[in-house]
Amino acid sequence: MASQPNDAGDQARIGVFICHCGGNVSDVVDVERVAAEVGKKPNVVHSGTHMFMCSDPGQALIEEKIKELNLNRVIVAACSPTLHQLTFRRTLERAGLNQFLFEHVNIREQVSWVVEDREEATRKATRLVNAAVGRIRHLVPLDKRRIKIHPASLVIGGGVAGLVAARDLARRGMRVNLVEKTPFLGGRMAQLDQLFPSNEHARELLGKLIQEVIHQPLITVHTNAQVVESEGIVGDFRTRLRIIPRGVNHHLTYAGNAIAACPEETISEFNFGLTRRKAIYMPYPGCYPQMPAIDWRSCTKCGKCAAAVSGKGISLDEEPKEIEIKSGVIVLATGYDPYEPLYGEYGYGIFPEVISLQQLVRILDEEGPTGGRLLVNNKPVRSMAFIHCAGARQYEGINMPQPDGTVNDYCARTCCTAALHNINIIKERYPDTRIFSVYQDIRTYGRGHEEYYEKASENGVTFLRFDPFDLPTVRHDTKEEAPLLVRTRDLLTDNLEMEIPVDVVVLATGVIPHDISELVDMFKCAVGYDNFLLEVHPKLRPVELAVSGVFLAGSCQGPMDITEAASAAAAAASKAAALIAQGQVEMDPFIAMVDENKCTGCQTCLTVCPYSAITKDERKGVAVVNEALCTGCGTCAAACPSNAIHQFGFTDDQILSEVEMLLSDSAVG
Amino acid sequence: MADNVVTHPTSTAPGSQWQPRIIGFLCYWCSYTGADAAGTARMKYPPNVDIVRVMCSGRIDPELIMSAFSRGADGVLVCGCHIGDCHYISGNHKTMARMPLVKRILTDLGIEPQRFRHEWVSAAEGEKFSKLVAEITEQVRKLGPLNWPKLMRERGVGHGMDLKAWGE
Repeated sequence: MASQPNDAGDQARIGVFICHCGGNVSDVVDVERVAAEVGKKPNVVHSGTHMFMCSDPGQALIEEKIKELNLNRVIVAACSPTLHQLTFRRTLERAGLNQFLFEHVNIREQVSWVVEDREEATRKATRLVNAAVGRIRHLVPLDKRRIKIHPASLVIGGGVAGLVAARDLARRGMRVNLVEKTPFLGGRMAQLDQLFPSNEHARELLGKLIQEVIHQPLITVHTNAQVVESEGIVGDFRTRLRIIPRGVNHHLTYAGNAIAACPEETISEFNFGLTRRKAIYMPYPGCYPQMPAIDWRSCTKCGKCAAAVSGKGISLDEEPKEIEIKSGVIVLATGYDPYEPLYGEYGYGIFPEVISLQQLVRILDEEGPTGGRLLVNNKPVRSMAFIHCAGARQYEGINMPQPDGTVNDYCARTCCTAALHNINIIKERYPDTRIFSVYQDIRTYGRGHEEYYEKASENGVTFLRFDPFDLPTVRHDTKEEAPLLVRTRDLLTDNLEMEIPVDVVVLATGVIPHDISELVDMFKCAVGYDNFLLEVHPKLRPVELAVSGVFLAGSCQGPMDITEAASAAAAAASKAAALIAQGQVEMDPFIAMVDENKCTGCQTCLTVCPYSAITKDERKGVAVVNEALCTGCGTCAAACPSNAIHQFGFTDDQILSEVEMLLSDSAVG
Repeated sequence: MADNVVTHPTSTAPGSQWQPRIIGFLCYWCSYTGADAAGTARMKYPPNVDIVRVMCSGRIDPELIMSAFSRGADGVLVCGCHIGDCHYISGNHKTMARMPLVKRILTDLGIEPQRFRHEWVSAAEGEKFSKLVAEITEQVRKLGPLNWPKLMRERGVGHGMDLKAWGE
């Protein structure tokens, strides 16, 4: 990749260009004096100033001088390299010079803007430019690495975000592998019923989306598939999937008989523990794939299901298999889990009448465990208290900590709207139900959401506001006519302390990210303090991870509703498709290289590399750097005891010549 | 060491007062950007720290730091990203492991370990950086010029080495 070292040394012909920056530099630093001083250095063939180096005429000046004076090294002293380093590298390219024979010296943000005394500033600028002169002699031409992008994508997660991302990628002509860990597509959206603000039914919408995906020939869906390993780099990811056998195939015609025959039962995750299901199961009618799956953790392989259907369509002895998928990009759509209140949190787990919002949604669902009737533990409900912010906006020392000792201090965003939506549904079907909303703040932020708050108020819901440092409490009440007593101090009525007897307490719960710690390790994702995946920049690059080629879609990134998750997924698909369409990716050349003559094969570099980019060639007994994986941190170069591994652009010679020039006598004005 | 006695040629121009000369190794992603942030906010700090940028603080090994001292630095500063924020994931973990070694080596050589400082500076910590520069400049000013060749001779290090290169 890189050319043989071609240290200019004495053959260097250096051009120095110092920018006035319209006064930003020259008001403090005497740029003419700096140019004159630096011009005295050996090998400096040109040393001059310009009002705005980054402007078109400024760049044209550099090109002109390169050609006129046959310059082979260029230094620009101006603002911070974070702004225009690329600009000037391109200038060199246009003039036919390798773009990495360039040094950018910061004499604005780090000199003229921070040093008060003009004399000191001028001396400092001179020192820094002289240091660049020393360093640039040791620079060699380098080439950007070009990696071809494999024209396929991998979407991890088969919920609404993953489905939207897959569909949008396929629409742009990209091949997609959609991987879902559970046996069924649909994710959390399948567990909802009426959606806000339109009251459309979740599974109907989901069904349409799933149909689009499965009828798209460019998309291959893998269910019961888990990612076990992934390596590679943008453009060339290799991911290994472990596919657990379903136990059931399309030959099965009488699924109902097979399921009825199964003697094993376990709790239904789909109904959040409200019901039980068999070891062979379908979560809901109309699920996709439209056939049951066997949950091997509960299955005892007794064979009764197979017997009930004369063995057709059920196979209990298949082995898991592994497949490898190559992709140029990866989209993470691994979703969220609704917060499950801790045992004892507001009485959850202790009192059977305390339920979570996600359980209430299942109860109100007409296809759910009670056929949509408002029954909790088989009893009708006359009065309810909704306690908001359960598992969200928590304070250390006030709320019960999670098992790892932390609290969820973030707002979970959608729960206020969801709670009020469900409150209104109850009021519509059971107008006599007495409902209290015990809240911290009402955050119905979205389009059409505030109407739920107003409607609830009109429907006679009583709102009580609590102080986060004085949480409501729930206890059993044997005196009153209702099983539970909710105590709260209402800020809206001047701190009136009240106790409300209710039949049911619903905890309006927040969300937590679905646990993907292995994926986080594999892809080296950044994770925020709230444990959700962290994007590169919330405003400028909201769906990208710091790892090139891996994109975020949906609630794995933070609490959001379906609208927001679908938007994020569309954005991720768009970014991923744009990347693939480029065909190749260019990367900086500042990678490490092993000097095989000096390497002793001690493998110290292997152990320090954060990217596992170094391996040992056993035959030669030396370390080998994988140029595609190396990101150019230089940690190996620092660690090597034999000085046998170098980082292009940041060799010891280059750094030390810079240091020497900074400290040399002649540098001082 | 009295700071008006100048024997080390790199510390000052002829005839003028000695000024501390400090080399700052800054990682490009966090600390260098943090220093830029100080500039954008026009914070003022002493000019005595000259910044050498590297991509990651993990690039800096103790040898480079000692080389800086031996070439005339009176102080050395190393800055990187906070733990957990390294652009290269764990480069700064290696830095964190190596820097205490530098203090040990300096102490063993009879050099005041306060001449060396290692701090994490994030891209938003312009103020922290400017304060850091002011602090280390003052600290090194109090300690006086290092005068490496004289010190090495006194400590009995470098017998037979050609120290004339440093103006002996």
